Amino acid sequence: MSLTAKKADQQGDLSDDQRIINAMHTFVNDFGLTAATYMESCVKCGLCAQACQFYVTTGNPKYTPIGKIRPFQQAYDRHMGPFAPVYRFFNLVPAVTLKELKYWQELIYDSCTLCGRCTLICPMGIDIAELVKEARHGMFEAGLIPERLALMDRTTVAWGSPATPAEDFAEIIEEISQEYDVPINVDKEKANILVTLAPAELGDHTKAVADMAKILNSIDADWTLCSDGFEASNIGFINGDLALQKKLTMKLIETAQRIGAKTLVLPECGHAYGAARWEAARWYGGPVPVNVVHMTEFLDDLVSTGKIKLDHVDETASFHDPCQLVRRGGVTKAPRQIMEALGLDLIEMEDSGSFGWCCGGGGGVVSNTRADKLRHKVFDLKKKQFEETGAKRLVTACGQCRITLTMGAKHINWNQETDSLLELVANNLVT
Amino acid sequence: MELLEFARGPALQSAMVIFVAGVLWRIIGILALPFISIPSRARKGVLPEGEVKGWFEGIWRRMWPHKSFIRQALFSTINGHVYHIGLFVVVFLFAPHIAFIKDLTGLSWASLPSNLVNAVGVVTAASLIAALIHRLTNPVQRLISTFNDYFSWFVTLAPVLTGLLAVSHLGARYETLLAIHLLSIALLLIWFPFGKLMHAFLFVVSRGATGARMKHRGAQI
Amino acid sequence: MTTNSSGKKNLTTGRQPETLSDMLQRRGVSRRAFLKYAAMTASLMALPPTMANVMAANLARARRQSVIWLSFQECTGCTESLTRSMRPTLEDLIFDFISLDYHHTLQAVSGHAAEEARRNAMKENKGKYIVIVDGSVPIKDGGIYSMIAGMTNLQILEETVNDAFAVVAVGTCAAYGGLPHADPNPTGAVPISDLVKDKPLINLPGCPPIPEVMSGTLSYVLSFGKIPELDHLARPLSFYGETIHDRCYRRPFYDRGLFAKSFDDEGARKGWCLYELGCKGPVAYNSCATMKWNGGVSFPIQSGHGCLGCSEPNFWDMGGFYKPLSTGLGNMGSALAGAAVAGAALGGGSAWLARKHQGEYMKNLVDHEKDKAGQNSKKEN
Ligand code: HEM
Ligand code: SF4
Ligand code: SF4
Ligand code: SF4
Ligand code: SF4
Repeated sequence: MSLTAKKADQQGDLSDDQRIINAMHTFVNDFGLTAATYMESCVKCGLCAQACQFYVTTGNPKYTPIGKIRPFQQAYDRHMGPFAPVYRFFNLVPAVTLKELKYWQELIYDSCTLCGRCTLICPMGIDIAELVKEARHGMFEAGLIPERLALMDRTTVAWGSPATPAEDFAEIIEEISQEYDVPINVDKEKANILVTLAPAELGDHTKAVADMAKILNSIDADWTLCSDGFEASNIGFINGDLALQKKLTMKLIETAQRIGAKTLVLPECGHAYGAARWEAARWYGGPVPVNVVHMTEFLDDLVSTGKIKLDHVDETASFHDPCQLVRRGGVTKAPRQIMEALGLDLIEMEDSGSFGWCCGGGGGVVSNTRADKLRHKVFDLKKKQFEETGAKRLVTACGQCRITLTMGAKHINWNQETDSLLELVANNLVT
Repeated sequence: MELLEFARGPALQSAMVIFVAGVLWRIIGILALPFISIPSRARKGVLPEGEVKGWFEGIWRRMWPHKSFIRQALFSTINGHVYHIGLFVVVFLFAPHIAFIKDLTGLSWASLPSNLVNAVGVVTAASLIAALIHRLTNPVQRLISTFNDYFSWFVTLAPVLTGLLAVSHLGARYETLLAIHLLSIALLLIWFPFGKLMHAFLFVVSRGATGARMKHRGAQI
Repeated sequence: MTTNSSGKKNLTTGRQPETLSDMLQRRGVSRRAFLKYAAMTASLMALPPTMANVMAANLARARRQSVIWLSFQECTGCTESLTRSMRPTLEDLIFDFISLDYHHTLQAVSGHAAEEARRNAMKENKGKYIVIVDGSVPIKDGGIYSMIAGMTNLQILEETVNDAFAVVAVGTCAAYGGLPHADPNPTGAVPISDLVKDKPLINLPGCPPIPEVMSGTLSYVLSFGKIPELDHLARPLSFYGETIHDRCYRRPFYDRGLFAKSFDDEGARKGWCLYELGCKGPVAYNSCATMKWNGGVSFPIQSGHGCLGCSEPNFWDMGGFYKPLSTGLGNMGSALAGAAVAGAALGGGSAWLARKHQGEYMKNLVDHEKDKAGQNSKKEN
């Protein structure tokens, strides 16, 4: 195959050799028993392609999920597998080259949303999405990630959030509080519930912050936002920057501990859930000492225990399942129960729940502007499935999905808004 | 008869030695890697036993695709089942094979009528050939396939074809055919641990690990 | 051949031998019986029907053929097979008819007189006599393990074969070395085919061979004056062209997968296939299943025992008479245990290396990796 890597970005002024060394070193350190088994057991059936939006919408075989991690595979074969010493000795599996890493940058970042659909089809049960995520670690260390994501990474390293430096946080919240006329708790010394945010909620979706406050206030919860621990959408998790992922994770946990919070509520953000709910323990070194819940789970709990009452909307709606929350996170029923409480007539898409198609923007793809064209193409799939339901409302529970769906619709002049479940709940809260 | 003696003797013997050593080499080489566990709290209600259950669920669940994937996976799945079941029947339910296993391990069980096994052998061979055609014509599989995939296919089909030739006495004298059959099995045994045929063992871990991971999260397996 | 008066006469007289039809007339055998014999032999040998008449005519005209029978390392089973048929038949007459000029077991004379007879026959029938050999020839240590009249078997063979028209190796020992050749072959026994390279050679293996196979082959040679078509082991194709299994009456059970599992189980009583009891019929080329033994009475499989494959080389070294053909040879237990230990060690070792890699070892590899990566990118460019 001739590798043309016209799109590859690179960061820093590492020498070429050093990039390879960093990539290999990091790749190799990711291989434990589970990943190793995955690397060993692919039967090349090609089915994963059938599950992947990028292949299905383009028909281009290079988007076959398992093929997206070839350099990672090569690193495994050459350095970690049972026959690695033999492969190295006879150079049967060559060392990964910079050219290859650059070629695969697009496949690892632009054309994978870590949605995990491929994982579900693979007859060998290979968790390909997880492998792509792991492959990103090495790419990051090699300074070989899309520049847009790198930019967010640098911002987050400097500010603690891609949205705003911690110093300005309280001020922004104050503005939101005034705009929507809702009291919002910030930086309380002690609180039962630590509420966290995703960057979009300090930008496009400020109403979400107000909605959240409205609901929490309505149940007289002991809650707060914190300037030094509000950022939940873990950009390190997406980019493959493990150091940043750890830093952001630990900041949340430490803040929760400092204020004595028992519950940490994550915003409507899928990747936040993946990072804080499932991976935080890796950095903390054990089960985290606070109960981490997604906004959707939190709302479901309030609805099902009768702590809040909702007006009925009485409209047809379909739900877009955020991959990290549903397929990768296991929160499938909660959003549907909330929709039922809202009196929405839920019409499921042909593929829904754990089998729903990704919005096309997960895994940082929506922020990675150079992938726009591909993302728009992929959007067709979602649009078609939604239109087939004939439902009026398109509802979701992840801010990133919402942005992706909104941008996708705008791009093709499709007049379809995407609602946030949180917003619907807040709008229909019986007070 | 000398070729047959070689096949029944040194060829099979060394092949089995390589097979056993290779399989253990590969499996232990993987299982002895560090186990990276992320000790997050499981979804409410999922106990550690539940994760073990998830392990088995993962193994079982992937025997057949989820409804959402059925259409795309139909051919691969059905054809795959045909030649896997076929191979199983031919390898383990054919009386001469059982005699071989009994001689080796002391274990034996009932066999199927040889004519039936013969027919299954033909179907299996056809199904394997269909699998190759699919691999060659499907751009995805073409792109991701390597020597390993084609060679593994070859060493699997070879014993089936040579076995069929042997029982039907086609092409050469019986003892030559039988010797070639046994040599093709030796080749299969030798290649087995080093190529993708190891999926026959590894699927337990790869499916199981994902099953357990998903169960831990309360997600779809 | 139960009497060998004719043979003895021939040793002493040198007159023109009588024809076969003369002899048959003298013995009162009808022409019809003779024609029937010719037709049967022709059909056994799968000759075209027209050849039966040719064979009969040729046979009738055939003159007595001088035959020298050499017995080396053998058990006399082959001779027994030939001479112990249940009732005198035309086959016996064929053997009576040939001029058995030398045969240890059958000839009356012994010692120097016997050797003398052999040399006379050789001189008188130079280039025309047939040498039949049973038994293998030991060649180790100068061939001292089997000697006759002060000569090693090898010496006798060489001397006798020199002026022969053709050589027939009768029985598995002569054809393939036989039991004396079995591992570890202490006497260095070799088959006749190893020693006779420049004469037409027919192998009639079997332990022992079927009498009709011997007489049939001889009849062919007598009537056509040439040797029949042979397979790659120099066996007449007409008798060794098919396996026992090809013609076995238990074959339908084989095809249906009905196997006796022991010699006295239900299956055995029902006459099921003996494959799992070690029958070597599928690889044994011989006529037992069609011609049968003792004048067509039965053959081993019919009596309930698997074929041993006695017409095949090394049949005694094939892992055991009761080991099914589909099993491997030899005991795998310790080899597999060793393989398991070695495999586990390799696996453990590679995992240990890999773990080391994840740690400080990776650093040492850096330079090496650079080289390789450099080479590869150069290659691609
Ligand atoms: C492991 C993979 C193997 C495959 C795929 C395979 C396949 C086959 C097939 C398709 C046949 C024809 C069966 C029929 O139609 O009746 C056959 C026959 C046979 N196989 Fe295998 N076989 C395998 C292993 C073995 C082993 C381990 C042995 C023993 C050494 C063996 C010995 C035989 C024999 C002896 C026959 C012919 C039996 C007869 O009819 O005389 N096979 N094999
Ligand atoms: S995780 Fe999703 S986007 Fe990525 S390869 Fe798999 S199916 Fe495709
Ligand atoms: S579906 Fe699984 S086994 Fe099949 S090619 Fe993809 S990763 Fe490999
Ligand atoms: S008894 Fe022997 S020769 Fe007869 S069918 Fe069975 S295996 Fe073949
Ligand atoms: S059945 Fe087999 S072992 Fe018995 S005499 Fe015939 S060839 Fe020899």
